[in-house]
Amino acid sequence: MARAGREAAYRELIRRYERPIFALLFRMVRDRELAEDLAQETFIKALNAIESYRPEFKFSSWIFKIANNAAIDHLRRRELDTLSLDGSPHAATPEAMQATALQIGARQESPLDAVEAKELGGAIEAAIGRLRPEYRSCILLRHVEGRAYEEIAEILDLPLGTVKTYIHRARNELRQTLAHLREE
Amino acid sequence: MSPVSGPHLTPEDLDAWLAGALAPAAQEHLAGCPTCLERADTEAEIVSLVAALPLMSPAAGFADRIMTRIAVARPLQVRTIDLIRQRVFASRRSLAFAASLLVLVAGSMAGSIVWTLGHQETLTALGAWLTAQAGQAAWLGVRGVASNVIEQPWFAGFKELAASPGRLGIATALALVAYLSGVLALRRLLALPTPRVAHASA
Repeated sequence: MARAGREAAYRELIRRYERPIFALLFRMVRDRELAEDLAQETFIKALNAIESYRPEFKFSSWIFKIANNAAIDHLRRRELDTLSLDGSPHAATPEAMQATALQIGARQESPLDAVEAKELGGAIEAAIGRLRPEYRSCILLRHVEGRAYEEIAEILDLPLGTVKTYIHRARNELRQTLAHLREE
Repeated sequence: MSPVSGPHLTPEDLDAWLAGALAPAAQEHLAGCPTCLERADTEAEIVSLVAALPLMSPAAGFADRIMTRIAVARPLQVRTIDLIRQRVFASRRSLAFAASLLVLVAGSMAGSIVWTLGHQETLTALGAWLTAQAGQAAWLGVRGVASNVIEQPWFAGFKELAASPGRLGIATALALVAYLSGVLALRRLLALPTPRVAHASA
């Protein structure tokens, strides 16, 4: 479809993948503006190189691979260790911090639910944010995006066994980090 | 609770359990093992918490921002129209020039149509004159070619041949044979060589 080089087809591809790609990048780099820049970079790279896309592979795997590489490259350049629920660690002003803050609780129903959802969601986001980037990619692709182990291995260029190990370790770390929530 | 059977669940078993595809033996163990049961419940809880993370979208106009930065291959006609549009709207002067040109062309066409409708007889006469001139020019051309052929040295021999139907038939047959021989020879020359098969000669 996109090979035809038509603008409408490109827009359809963006519409279909903008949310999962943005969500993955957001949770990888933990900065709204940065995630958007990386998502743009991902789509621009993918669409400009659409001629090199090989249809025997899934388009979603290809674009997730580009996005993940963009995130990993960024994280290697700038090591961000902690998740700031109040906004980007690079935000200079309170407005910028507000603008880059995590938007949690999109599915809430009441103010009480909202507070609970924000606390719980924030704790999970924080726990995911503390994982190693490789574990983070694996756990997000597996349990947020619902990708198969084989597809994750393809996206991350890792052996299947390594992917499984990373996901188990990530779940173990999350279990330990979130233990206090379960006890409450 | 039934007594514990078999080894504790491996991470792969837990994955299978999460996917609802745990082997019967492991399922039996899970039913009787509080340690594995608690671990499996915790895993399921973690997975459901991660899967329930809120949906996220980039800011509005995300697609537009990307589209302005990628090279979309456009057909020549579209590019030409875009180029003309850019040139026309580049300045007030170019816009005024384009408008004047449009008025001129449209005015000429309109004038032409009005004149045509008012001078149909003149146009009919003009058409008839042009047809006559074209016919005369064509006839002169045919006569010129015929005169040229008649003056050729081989024309006398051809005329004698045409006067005798027998000779003409023989000449035509010979020409046909020569043509067919030529076609057959050409086909042989253009045919792909057949590869020699080793066992065919045995």
